[in-house]
Amino acid sequence: MLVTWRYKYRNSIMDRIDPRARWIFSCAFLISCTMFWDARFLIFFFIIAVVWYTFGRTKWKETRRGWLLVSVMLFSMIVINTLITGGGAGGVVPPGGHEVWTQGFTIPWVNWHIHFGLTAERLWFAICQLLRLGGISAIFVLIPYTMDSRSYGATFHGLGMPDRFAYTMELSFRFIPTLAQDSAATLDAQKARGYEIEKVKGGLFRKILRIAPLIVPITMNSIVASEDVANAMDLRCFGQYKRTWLFELKFHWWDIILIIFSALMLIGSAVAAYGFKMGNFWIPESFINMLIG
Amino acid sequence: MPKTNAAALVFDDLSFQYNTRSEPAIQHISFSVQPGELLLIAGSSGCGKTTLMRCANGLIPNAYHGKISGDIKLFGRSVFEMQMAEISQAVGTLLQDPERQILGSYVLNEVGFGLESLGIPRNEIIPRVDETLEHLGILHMRDRETFGTSGGEKQKIALAGVLVMKPKILLLDEPLSSLDPASAHEALQTFRQLADEGLSVVIVEHRVEDVLTIHPDTVVYIDEGQVTYCGDSKGLMAIVDYRRIKLPADIVVERARNAPAPQFYPVLKPNYKNPETLLSFEGVHFQYNEDSPEVLDDINFEIHKGDVIAVLGHNGSGKTTMVKHALGLLKPTQGHVLLEGLDTQKMTVAEAAHTVGYVFQSPTQMLFAPTVKEELAFGPKNLGFSPEEIDKNVTWAIETVHLNEELDTPPLALSFGQQKRISIAAILSMRSRILMMDEPTAGQDYWNYQAFMDAILQMPGFDSVIFITHDLDLALIYANRILILYGGKIVADGRPQDVLQDELQLKKFRILPTSLLKLNMQYLPKTGSFYRAETIAHFIG
Repeated sequence: MLVTWRYKYRNSIMDRIDPRARWIFSCAFLISCTMFWDARFLIFFFIIAVVWYTFGRTKWKETRRGWLLVSVMLFSMIVINTLITGGGAGGVVPPGGHEVWTQGFTIPWVNWHIHFGLTAERLWFAICQLLRLGGISAIFVLIPYTMDSRSYGATFHGLGMPDRFAYTMELSFRFIPTLAQDSAATLDAQKARGYEIEKVKGGLFRKILRIAPLIVPITMNSIVASEDVANAMDLRCFGQYKRTWLFELKFHWWDIILIIFSALMLIGSAVAAYGFKMGNFWIPESFINMLIG
Repeated sequence: MPKTNAAALVFDDLSFQYNTRSEPAIQHISFSVQPGELLLIAGSSGCGKTTLMRCANGLIPNAYHGKISGDIKLFGRSVFEMQMAEISQAVGTLLQDPERQILGSYVLNEVGFGLESLGIPRNEIIPRVDETLEHLGILHMRDRETFGTSGGEKQKIALAGVLVMKPKILLLDEPLSSLDPASAHEALQTFRQLADEGLSVVIVEHRVEDVLTIHPDTVVYIDEGQVTYCGDSKGLMAIVDYRRIKLPADIVVERARNAPAPQFYPVLKPNYKNPETLLSFEGVHFQYNEDSPEVLDDINFEIHKGDVIAVLGHNGSGKTTMVKHALGLLKPTQGHVLLEGLDTQKMTVAEAAHTVGYVFQSPTQMLFAPTVKEELAFGPKNLGFSPEEIDKNVTWAIETVHLNEELDTPPLALSFGQQKRISIAAILSMRSRILMMDEPTAGQDYWNYQAFMDAILQMPGFDSVIFITHDLDLALIYANRILILYGGKIVADGRPQDVLQDELQLKKFRILPTSLLKLNMQYLPKTGSFYRAETIAHFIG
């Protein structure tokens, strides 16, 4: 069965904002934020994100799974990609820089010598990434927990998408919690047959084979479920006429203000970034001095 | 749809073969449905009932492709000349599993979905939804989430979503399969009422006996894709094999008198003097999360060696939740579950699986292997059985479910009913001491489920068997102990003849006495125990 994210009405500021205005703000924030690598700008966006997040009045217990996922993503992007391999900083942080820690080692057998050097610039870039991605995550993690599931399709339609596309967006939005539910059911069914995912051992190919008891039923169920959904929609005339969206959306004055603010944020960012060439990567001298003395 | 005097639905020499199959699913089907007629289509698993419905509602040929011949006429017009939207407005379909049909996250949105698709103005949709919900007696559910509703409620919501579009014909695909007896009775009364109001109602159902209570005007019996009977219900009862279709007990008694008595010798016998406890529930409470209500409320009982327990209860009474505790899939929020004396809180599910074999309700959640043989070997392999033991167990399990010839077939290529039997065999092959089955007969026809239940209970190896069911007859034929759950509490626990004797009490717990129970109660002084109708026929003589 299709399920939704666990939304509940909290009588919060977020509950009073029209979901279309929220999406406009969220997208404007995302685009604006990605124009900058200058921490002074990113702090400004980060503060906006924190304030926005508090509007949702969500509890940590409700959103912790979402944040766990974000943490895994941030760890791989910031710690692995930027700090360890340096790949994430390519094209933004100038080559060279002030080394704060170096370590050389040789891989046995192949005799490859690896030189690892962490620079102050990469470290600062990691902080900028944390501000940028943390802010964007705060804006988007909030959506499933604070948006009424009845409003999904009507919102995307209200943003100008055709009926079919809007309803596809709604179904996509509900796919993740539905998949999570199906996965939990399959894991239980296989555990009941003595299967222990923690004990999957061996090489990569063997590991892939050993997770087949989970992957195959989940995938097959998703395929069958999509066929069921398509049939259920066909049997109720979906896509044959111009659709009425039962969930009624109304803009209030505060939504208009939010949309104007979003537009100004977007235009202002574009002018600053492309007109005045502001917001490129910048590192404070004091940070370098603090690290290398 | 223009008003004509034509029949509502006419199947005219209809045959269909799916592109993916080598044999036709239905052949030369001819019968008609009149406006206001209630028609029952009966037949065993895989006989072509679902294909026939797909032809009538336009999914064939619009969504499923294949070779089609003959015609279907909807109020005089061939459906092959009609658009899908046109067919869908005239023919409403309720799928077997309402969960597969429900799209909306709230009842109002779900029921209004079809009207939204038709582009009807919002101010017309809401009164029409309200009117339909009121007609079905579920207006109070309008603003509830669909996810948290029970099986019976989901079915009514799905039905409302179909009826709100004011179809002329209502197709119901095994509408009783997921319902408890009282919900099934209510649903049947609703279908009868709709037919009486002028709607043509076509019910495809295994539970023939239940549908006969609302007096279908016509019964069509399909066997191997062909209509073998079309007429009134009396005629059906005279010609159909009572071992293949479940008929009222008195009819079976009448017809089975001259047939050999069924041979059934269950291995498990309760030991009332020195019971050996295998599993015990001690003051178990459970809730899924802090905000939700308690699903289990102070559950206390023991499972002993020799017990064959049927767990009965209404939709949402906590049956599955309770049984999942036995394996440690769920842990009590208060109290203890002890498996062979060990607290399930302190063991993994895989460890518990050595003792408890649990067959889930849906087979699609577990089947994955390239062949049935490998599927059946998966559990014993995980439990560390030797290759010789695995081979022996696989052979025994596949024979028990009568699917020997499918050992090299991919399980996912089998029909739903066969997949269900494979899922049972996959647990049987683990040879656990306690076998637990959640709705083992769902999606199975009468002959098949009787055959595998007979085989399981006559085979040595299990110390106890527990099954959850809505089928009261299954419970009274096979169980030596019955547990009834009501609102998360155990309200009855004992021998079938003790627990099931008070009809009023049963009705209070949403369990309706069947013709077989009434027959058994009538002859109990003579038989001393509960039996299937064929056996009672020989007691009566």
